[in-house]
Amino acid sequence: MTSPAPGIGARLFAWLEERTGLSVLSDLARKKRVPRHRHTIWYYLGGMTLFLFGIQVGTGILLLLYYRPSASEAFESVQFIMTRVPFGWLIRSIHSWSANLLVLTAFVHMFSVFFLKAYRKPRELTWLSGALLLFLMLGFGFSGYLLPWNELAFFATQVGTQVAGAVPVVGPFTLRLLRGGDLVTGGTLTRFYGFHVAVLPALATLLVGAHLILVQKHGMSVPPGVGKGGDSHDESVPSMPFLPNFLLRDLIGWVAALGILAALAALFPWELGTKADPFAPAPAGIRPEWYFAWMFQTLKLLPSHILGLEGEMLGVLGFGAGGLLLLLVPFLDGGRGGTSGRDRLIVACGWAVVAFMAAMTILVYLPAGK
Amino acid sequence: MSVDATRSIRRAGSGRRLILASLVSLLTVAPARAAEPPREAPAGPRPMETSCVSCHSQMDDVLLEPTKHMQDDIHFLKGLSCHDCHGGNPAAGGDGDPEAAHDRKMGWTGKPSRTQIPAFCAKCHADAAFMKRFNPHTRIDQYSEYRTSVHGKKNAEGDERTAVCVDCHGVHGIRAVSDPRSSVYPTKVAETCSACHADEKRMGHYFLPTTQHEEYRKSVHAHALYDEGDTSAPTCNDCHGSHGAVPPGVGNVANVCGSCHTREATMFRETEAKLKLDLAACIQCMVCHSNHAVLPPDDRMVGVGDASTCTGCHAEEDKGYKAAAQMADGIGALVKRLGEANERLDRAERAGVEVGPDRFDLQKGRDKLVEARVLVHSFDLEKFLAAAKEGLETADAGVAAGDRAEAELRTRRLGLWFSLLVIVAVLIGLALKVRQIERTSGT
Repeated sequence: MTSPAPGIGARLFAWLEERTGLSVLSDLARKKRVPRHRHTIWYYLGGMTLFLFGIQVGTGILLLLYYRPSASEAFESVQFIMTRVPFGWLIRSIHSWSANLLVLTAFVHMFSVFFLKAYRKPRELTWLSGALLLFLMLGFGFSGYLLPWNELAFFATQVGTQVAGAVPVVGPFTLRLLRGGDLVTGGTLTRFYGFHVAVLPALATLLVGAHLILVQKHGMSVPPGVGKGGDSHDESVPSMPFLPNFLLRDLIGWVAALGILAALAALFPWELGTKADPFAPAPAGIRPEWYFAWMFQTLKLLPSHILGLEGEMLGVLGFGAGGLLLLLVPFLDGGRGGTSGRDRLIVACGWAVVAFMAAMTILVYLPAGK
Repeated sequence: MSVDATRSIRRAGSGRRLILASLVSLLTVAPARAAEPPREAPAGPRPMETSCVSCHSQMDDVLLEPTKHMQDDIHFLKGLSCHDCHGGNPAAGGDGDPEAAHDRKMGWTGKPSRTQIPAFCAKCHADAAFMKRFNPHTRIDQYSEYRTSVHGKKNAEGDERTAVCVDCHGVHGIRAVSDPRSSVYPTKVAETCSACHADEKRMGHYFLPTTQHEEYRKSVHAHALYDEGDTSAPTCNDCHGSHGAVPPGVGNVANVCGSCHTREATMFRETEAKLKLDLAACIQCMVCHSNHAVLPPDDRMVGVGDASTCTGCHAEEDKGYKAAAQMADGIGALVKRLGEANERLDRAERAGVEVGPDRFDLQKGRDKLVEARVLVHSFDLEKFLAAAKEGLETADAGVAAGDRAEAELRTRRLGLWFSLLVIVAVLIGLALKVRQIERTSGT
């Protein structure tokens, strides 16, 4: 009796295997295991962020089919997408909501990695690529906010780019680089469009690739206090196979996220507002997207001069230094299992930053005068 | 200046010689000066330290008064000084000799009488060559206009009670018209005019009413000027003229109102021509809108209701009465339908449907409403109904757009619930699969 002929799937895989050696990847995925402990839930945030990034890419490409990046057409083209293109309203709303959820999950992912000490040796570069990805996501948010060319976005961009211009030495150059001139104009819109759909996606693709390869290489970090701590191959910690167990669990999160996005888009479609008028006075209550609100509020609260230097400039320098410290976290850490004084200081600093960001954000959204 | 010299000047200022000199000068001020050859403009700002200023600043009461306001005065700011209006020798007199300063050979004129003031100011203000050195676009017809006004005519007859230049502009300390502190700045004009025209004693001489200012303050024009800060809104001089102040008169009210309300005035005139009527005999715009107390127009003014102005002339059996009723119905129906369209679009917008283009289309309906309201002034029912019909069609389209938006909203919600149902089913399926796998593998 002869064995049954292999199915079309198996034959296709064999064909590909012969030409690409695809089994290396599938073997890797099959061998990969994910530790199971009380902090396992935080492992899903990276996948969730990646899923939302995928949603952004997909919906972004669809929006590109109709969007026109010029001051005279941008607003009208988005309006056209929302009113005349079948499901255009849904695509645009999902793109906007997903962008916000993406930044949220990226921040939560970063803080979970920070507090679980998952950046420690040998994952320094994983942390570095992740932190750079977070900055890129903020860049996506900032550049994408202007693209509908509405009133709020126009003035928020004016304020945002002005802040970038406050950096000593390179500030004026950065300001002109971002705006494409001295003022926010149609030239700025075209430039932001270029950043949003070409420069940032290219960089993000490279960094996401690097980040995933590094995650694959080092596996999931086991936090201090669980098993021996820090080693994904720690056999004292129970684990589950990545394929299919973890991936299916990931999938549950992604499908749930899709449901949430659909509900948000249908019940609270992203507003378009009114078209930007560069000659109109700035409306009251201009503020940036929520994830920049804490920086905006900090700059607002700083005195105009501190020790003879401009308060705004010092604030911007402070944010720059903060960003640099974030990148350097793995190299500042003691790496001794979370018990040394330096470890405790780093954790305390992390909580202080979280509290500061939360407090400043709340202050922005409190009604005026409170 | 020495103490003795100062005393000497004070004595002179309060003495007979000065009074005599002033009286003589008043008699010698002649309107004919306006016809003199163009005079040289001052070469540059004059110093305050002329003998006029140094002496008068140490005097009392009326003789001190001119020096108090000099720094605010447009003439002084343009480089003119006392002697440019009053003549005399500003270089002399500092040694305690007022006669030298008040030298009639040097053109000293002193204080002009009220009947002389217009010509006194016109010496420069009617002199094109002189005035254009300060501002090439400035007008120089104030004096000739003034002489056509009731104020000017009475003044020419020797009536010293009527308004002259200084009553509106001030004497010394005269500010530019564009200066918000000026008594003739748009927001101050009504108060300036009412200083006389609300004075019963003063107006009693001419048998004129004094309620105009009180009425004006209640008007839509005053609301725009004072409450909304719109300085282009009309005040007294915009209807009555500034220097040529003449009451519009019943024959040209529509011309006066029509200088701003052009469409209404054109329609009114067209009706006049079409029906071969002479509406000059009636008080035109005022019949419905009043004059000083022009209240904000209200749709209820048209029609046959209690607040209607049409029923003031048209009786129930005449054609105008029926036309008024039809116009009122047309406006009412259009307002109602536009409201319905707006309400639907608002509701859809609040729920997140983008209705910007529909709102833009609906704007045409609002324009037609405005046009219909204006067409009331044509008294042409056919034209009015055509505009109202177009407006109604646009409003109907707006209502339909609102209905479509709401239907779209319902479809979205339905789609959402369906999607969520599928998503929940997939989630349950995935959860069961995970459970099954983990049970089988024991992980």
